[in-house]
Amino acid sequence: MNLFKKIVFKLYVIFLMVFTVWYGHFMYPLIFGFEGKEMAAESLKDLGEAGTDHEKMFVKLISEHGKKSVTDLGYKVIDQPYIEGRFHHIGFPIEPDKASLCVSCHGNVPHDNSKEVRSFLNMHAFYVGCETCHIQPKEAGESWRFRWYSKENGDIIDNPVALVEIEDSYKEDAAHNYPTYGKYGAKIAPVIQKGSELVLLSGEKEKKFAQRYVTELGNLNSEQKSQIKKVIHQKVSKTPLQCDGCHQEKDPYIPYAALGYPPRRVVELTNTSVVGMIEKYKEFYIPSFLSPGVGNE
Amino acid sequence: MSKYDPIVYKEGKRLFYRFSAHQRLQHVVLFSSVLILALTGFPLRHAEESWARPLYDLMGGTELAPLIHRAAGTVLLALFVYHTIYWMVLFYKNHIGKLKREKRVTIGNIIREFFSQEMVPNKKDLIDIIHIWKYLLYFTNRPPRHERMSWREKFDYFAPYWGIPILGPAGVALWWRDEFSHIMPGIVLNAAYIMHTDEALLAVLFLFFVHWYNVHYAPEKFPAATVWLTGYLTEDEMIHEHYADYVRVMIEQGLEDQIQPQHFGGKEYDW
Amino acid sequence: MQVAHSVLIRDVGMNKHVMTKWIAVFVFSFCMFSYSNAGFAGDELNCVLCHKHRGLSRIDEDGKFRLFYINQELFDSGPHRRNKCKDCHTDIDKIPHEPARKVDCMQECHMVEPSGNIKFSHKTVEETLHKSAHSPLDEDGKPKPHQEDYPGCKDCHDQPFYRPFSFYKGELKAGVSKRGISRCKGCHTNGDFAEDFYEHITTRLRKSRYPMETIKSCAKCHQDPEFQERHDLDDVVTTYMQTFHGKMIALGSEKTADCLDCHVVEGENTHLIEGKEVITSAVYKNNVQATCRTSECHEKAAAQLASYQTHVTYDREKYPLQFYMLVGFKALMACVLYFFLALIFLELLRRLFPCFSFIKDKKQDDEVE
Repeated sequence: MNLFKKIVFKLYVIFLMVFTVWYGHFMYPLIFGFEGKEMAAESLKDLGEAGTDHEKMFVKLISEHGKKSVTDLGYKVIDQPYIEGRFHHIGFPIEPDKASLCVSCHGNVPHDNSKEVRSFLNMHAFYVGCETCHIQPKEAGESWRFRWYSKENGDIIDNPVALVEIEDSYKEDAAHNYPTYGKYGAKIAPVIQKGSELVLLSGEKEKKFAQRYVTELGNLNSEQKSQIKKVIHQKVSKTPLQCDGCHQEKDPYIPYAALGYPPRRVVELTNTSVVGMIEKYKEFYIPSFLSPGVGNE
Repeated sequence: MSKYDPIVYKEGKRLFYRFSAHQRLQHVVLFSSVLILALTGFPLRHAEESWARPLYDLMGGTELAPLIHRAAGTVLLALFVYHTIYWMVLFYKNHIGKLKREKRVTIGNIIREFFSQEMVPNKKDLIDIIHIWKYLLYFTNRPPRHERMSWREKFDYFAPYWGIPILGPAGVALWWRDEFSHIMPGIVLNAAYIMHTDEALLAVLFLFFVHWYNVHYAPEKFPAATVWLTGYLTEDEMIHEHYADYVRVMIEQGLEDQIQPQHFGGKEYDW
Repeated sequence: MQVAHSVLIRDVGMNKHVMTKWIAVFVFSFCMFSYSNAGFAGDELNCVLCHKHRGLSRIDEDGKFRLFYINQELFDSGPHRRNKCKDCHTDIDKIPHEPARKVDCMQECHMVEPSGNIKFSHKTVEETLHKSAHSPLDEDGKPKPHQEDYPGCKDCHDQPFYRPFSFYKGELKAGVSKRGISRCKGCHTNGDFAEDFYEHITTRLRKSRYPMETIKSCAKCHQDPEFQERHDLDDVVTTYMQTFHGKMIALGSEKTADCLDCHVVEGENTHLIEGKEVITSAVYKNNVQATCRTSECHEKAAAQLASYQTHVTYDREKYPLQFYMLVGFKALMACVLYFFLALIFLELLRRLFPCFSFIKDKKQDDEVE
């Protein structure tokens, strides 16, 4: 019997022994498991009656992330995130921005200050990168332009095709055509030319700083934390870009056409319905609407 | 007694007869129906697991899979009855018949004949069980010398004999629940549910590990033993698993001088 | 659990310029109509101008995530599609609007119920619910303790869908059948009338929700351990899911009984779920046999089928039969399986050291027994 065969044999025997132990472990819950899977958040029980609604919500949020609601109609299945208290259906998973560093701390729904328009600002945050409004690229001193970046990996990508689908929806069979706005999987953000490559204005350096900050958080003393926060947010301009910066007919800040917006949509955004809406809002919410995020809190 | 030769030669190698074609066919029916039962039953038993729905859909979904399960169950129950009759006929032919010819038909002799059957447990099995533990705990360097049926094979054989009487009636009661309710109260179904699901779990856990170890995973069998197809064991396997029987057959066939020494479990693989 | 959250209405000095605003709203709305793009019949104010955006959202003061996006396609897939936004959100009559008030499902809407020619309302549902175990009031009309635990509409229902089907070739097929609808449209040519009725009626011919969704909506409260403790209830959902009824539903069947099949008297309003101690309840001890034997269930069964126990916990006192059987089987399984597992493990170990032994056998290797 040669040595190789012997080694293979012994190794196989050892593998079988591991398999036997695993099988014993695998059987255990099958034999002794009395109960089905627990669906509710067990830790809620610890809070008991004494827990405030906010405390309970905290525990629930921590334990129930990724909760879904699935409706099976037989001919189609609607798989959507579960939002407590919501009556209308969403019909899609809410896509997170995995690439933006701002979002990694501030979340997908970051605007909260201007009560009147925060929902609108959050709506924009679905397809407009934070830098677009919160960093003034003029100060960067370099030549810059707007591009789309992928929410998945941060790559600079081509203009989303979904924009064209919106244009198509005006055309035929309008009664049963439901375009979805904001389903681009990408965001608009300022980019600069670095050598042969286009890079996001928010930059690798800030990204590295912030990542380092998050990992080192436990080691920093409280003054250092405040200092570093200041450094990370240094590029953030005091006054963010205002609505009429982009929603105006003459020279809008964002070059819609170059970013793939179809002509009819550009007219909406810079001229008729949207601009009309903003005018309406200004009137309705005078004076706070004029400068969202300034002196409101 | 048998149309099969105890030893046949194939490519110069000795093969030892184990199972007739009839028995092998019964085994095929047995394992096919058990596999189908397991595949259509376990997704239901573990319906809350993520693998359950896809597997159940593959097995025909909620409409078809229960029908397949019941059909396979019917086949298994029929096989159980058939095999019992088959066994009784063989017992009558080979044992009672012999006693009749010899005019020795007494209760005591019938019981003695019963225990002399090859798959019925006897004193030698008890000795072998003690022996294997001695061997496994290194108190002897010689493994037990099994007769034609080792105690483990007998356990495998009798497992369906305790499993089917528990699983079968419980399954039938759950199947014909409305009709059964006329002769039994509903709580019997609660009992039937536990009987059916837990006994099935035992059977499947046993088959997929212990039995499959014996015939698939064990190093000398991997990837699969062939006796269920051919009906014959090789000389190596005979020496390894049924040494006492091997010696007996060899002597009966007048091959006394060619008897090989007993293997240890993989002695040839020792360093 | 109707957690009343504060409705945000702030005073922003609305009384000024009311007339100018109204004129502007009129002109503005008119302007927008020409750009309204989708067939969203109920959207007079062009609410979707904003609400079609997927990100329209905020975090409320009480920490709740509020998404204001309306999926028009899904909205158009249910009975509410014939309602205008304003039918439910009555407080919104202009754009822009203040945070909307909570919708009152009991209000009359603009739809006319054809049989009685009266305005439609879900009032009867509330009346029924108040007769059931889920009523927030006790028999004397006093509020029960833990008011927040008693369900409102939205605790069990999100926006309903139609679940149409056909069986033209004998086999149930989900969705609107072209063959079926063509028979309607021969006469009812106007608008979506035929589709509406087809979907409405076929949806009502079976469960309007897939059973697992019904179970999940019960589970929201009944599987919450804190809730069970407050109301001294068993974990009925978990125990139900361990029955063949529950398991078949989990695997996609619609044929076995879900919560409503056993807990609502056949032919009653499904909102009338009564406790097992109420004499008219479907699960009152004398009524169980009738409930099991309802049409399309165990019709052929005898009354004694009712002694079957559904919500079994393996509790020695409450369910001794199940408890001892289970203990027996588990002991048997553990003995048999771990015995053989140990044997195989040692046998494998023996193969690593085939010749080692504390005591050498006196018999020789080649000795015949």
